Amino acid sequence: MFHTTKKPSSMTPHDRPMCVQGDSGLVLTTDPKPRLRWTVELHERFVDAVTQLGGPDKATPKTIMRVMGVKGLTLYHLKSHLQKFRLGKQPHKEFNDQSIKDGMRASAMELQRNSGSSSTLMERSMNEMQLEVQRRLHEQIEVQRHLQLRIEAQGKYMQSILEKACQTLAGENMAVASTAAGPFKTTSNNMGTTSTNLVPDAAIKDFISPHPPHTFPPFQDMNNLFTSEPPPPPPPLIDCLKKPSPFISGAGKAPIFWPDDLRLQHLGTPSATLVPPPPSIGSPPDLDSLQLEMYESKPPPLSPLLVGNDAMHEKKFDTSIKLERPSPRQSSGHSDERVNNNNNGMPNNSNPTMSQPQGRNSSFG
Amino acid sequence: MAMAVDNAFNGVAVSNYSTSTNNSDDDFHDLFDSIMSIDALPYSPQVVEVDGGTNCNSPSNPAEDREEEEEEFKSLRLYHLLMAVADAMFGDNKSRELAQVILIRLNELVSTSHGTNLERLTAYYAQAFQDLLDCAAVSGGVPNKPHHLHRDDHSPTDVLAAFQLLQDMSPYVKFGHFTANQAILEAVADDRRVHIVDYNIMEGIQWASLMQAFVSRKDSPPAPHLRITVISRGPSSRRWIGTVQETGRRLVAFAASIGQPFSFHQCKLDSDESFRPSGLKLVRGEALVVNCVLHLPHFSNSSPESIASFLAGAKTLNPRLVTLVEEEIEHGPTIDGDYKVQFLDSLERYSAIYDSLEAGIPMKNRARGLVEKVFLGPRISATLRRIGQPQRAATAAEENCLWGERLEKMGLKAAAISFANHCQARLLVDLFNDGYRVEELGSNKLVLGWKSKRLLSVSIWASSSSSSSSSSSDSE
Repeated sequence: MFHTTKKPSSMTPHDRPMCVQGDSGLVLTTDPKPRLRWTVELHERFVDAVTQLGGPDKATPKTIMRVMGVKGLTLYHLKSHLQKFRLGKQPHKEFNDQSIKDGMRASAMELQRNSGSSSTLMERSMNEMQLEVQRRLHEQIEVQRHLQLRIEAQGKYMQSILEKACQTLAGENMAVASTAAGPFKTTSNNMGTTSTNLVPDAAIKDFISPHPPHTFPPFQDMNNLFTSEPPPPPPPLIDCLKKPSPFISGAGKAPIFWPDDLRLQHLGTPSATLVPPPPSIGSPPDLDSLQLEMYESKPPPLSPLLVGNDAMHEKKFDTSIKLERPSPRQSSGHSDERVNNNNNGMPNNSNPTMSQPQGRNSSFG
Repeated sequence: MAMAVDNAFNGVAVSNYSTSTNNSDDDFHDLFDSIMSIDALPYSPQVVEVDGGTNCNSPSNPAEDREEEEEEFKSLRLYHLLMAVADAMFGDNKSRELAQVILIRLNELVSTSHGTNLERLTAYYAQAFQDLLDCAAVSGGVPNKPHHLHRDDHSPTDVLAAFQLLQDMSPYVKFGHFTANQAILEAVADDRRVHIVDYNIMEGIQWASLMQAFVSRKDSPPAPHLRITVISRGPSSRRWIGTVQETGRRLVAFAASIGQPFSFHQCKLDSDESFRPSGLKLVRGEALVVNCVLHLPHFSNSSPESIASFLAGAKTLNPRLVTLVEEEIEHGPTIDGDYKVQFLDSLERYSAIYDSLEAGIPMKNRARGLVEKVFLGPRISATLRRIGQPQRAATAAEENCLWGERLEKMGLKAAAISFANHCQARLLVDLFNDGYRVEELGSNKLVLGWKSKRLLSVSIWASSSSSSSSSSSDSE
């Protein structure tokens, strides 16, 4: 309840401040700003602050204002919003678990409606229920946020593994690359039955450094390996990469292009961000068709993951950043440009070819 | 038996099939029917795509209906053959020769790299059976570690690629790791020092997200000092991509990059793979957590004795928490000794996994083929080995399934799964195909399943004598 000079009975949560008796006068005359719009972002910050302060009960408008630190936000805005929050009005809260959300929201709304004109006693117990519901909703949002962070962390870690494996791959193939018949097109995740055993075990042990200082040259050569160019004949390339392997590949015609591709995958989100296939530039139809097959399906709903906590990006896990290819590709290849675009930022930048925006307001269900 | 095989070949109705023992006829028919019929429980593999519609082969015209019938017919035949092999291998009237003949026939019909889910699955089963046959022939009945080409010799490249794919296609990896991590987080919320003993660290991926969670928890003490001790096997053990030292270095680097105090240790198993708790370095005042991930994506290369000794040893240390990720087997040897039930159950499970992977990336088989080859093939073999030797174990406790029950028998008490944990699991799984389900079994177990089939479970346990886990219900 607002602690200003108003009759409590005239307060209803549904009403905007202006409609409330007595209060409207205060708000309008003393508050020069236009009515504040509680956007998703603002509301999230509000919720954050409230949580930090120990919940909607413990938080007061003053402390919330201090914690939020949003310029132009006055106590009045906060009082109003806090009351609404306490009573269960959640205009912007959304997350994935639709059924829970709906159920809880429905019950919250109903309680709210019912309590509009009832006695104080009933209101209080209704409020408690609403608060409980609200807390659960809130907790769920927190969980989702943390889940994203954790998935990202895992993705970064995977990147370090990939990077190391790439290094060994590059080290192995540096000699090979110079004699390669030609660069070939990057296919994504063409995990064919493998025909390569490129990484002898000893080599893995040798590549220790977590912060590889000399990533550029190997990657340069790797880029050469995986760069596209107008039609290179696939067979010679395969021969170059192929080493005698202990087991026989079945139908695998195409070598494994996974290092780049996997990294490409990680550039977007840790989950299955499938980079849309670069337009065919006349590369062997075999690889192309495989690629197209890869991406026929819609990727799983990834939007929440794209909203990353930027704190994660700033962490000094530079090895993953070094994964990005700094060297400009020599050949044309759309794939390269696209990848370069990806690589210009932090590892977790969303793939520009995906339509999701980078900001926090990306779809939350 | 020969008649049965012929019938299978000709696709005659099930009722003509006679197994080696008459009693199991009815059981078999029932089980078989229940598997083959579309809308019955338990889970029926995607013979015909009625469920979910995630398979892109759903027919829509009469010609395809006929095709569908043919498919169904073919699938039936495969089932016949598989069951026949199982009978010949595990049944009362064992006959290696018969099994061999059937396997030859099966190999004509299926291959691991082509065909429908069922066909590929059958091919892997056939391979696994063949291994059993070969090993048994060599060592006179006790299969040692099979050394078939397709199992142990994957290049690290392949393994890494397959692992990457598995992670992206399906929630199995993350479900296990995140659920265990969440439980750990909650249990050590107020501790300054945490020590995790990890049975099977692989590449250490599980710990990246745990460290991140430690570092970013807001209303708790700053990130605790984390120590991870890895149980490592001797040099003969199979390596995944890198060595344990590699993993350690990587974890150290990652921890440094996010500001998590961290140290890494190893504890070697004895040569007979038994675990000696005295080999661990323990520090006073630290919260001890034991982590044991036995299912995907971790390889099943540990003998049941090794796992048993580890768990027993772990219990003596009175850990704050024990997290166990294992395959969820509904018809294990402790429940029902009949190999048929176990075998069919395993068929259902792996069919479900195949289907779920297909839903993850509905494309041609190559990527999935890699995952199948690297991860599922070996698991199928391990499963068959287990089914094939139920009498080998002296007691039920020695069998390598249902480790959770074992923990319970050892005296650990169940620790509850929190709302936040359950919530996280649901949210995670929602990111993938909606055929996945998360359910809570008992008070301390979360189970991930595909459609109606339970596949993977995470259970958490606490010592009855250690201090109770923190009551914090927040996710940090």
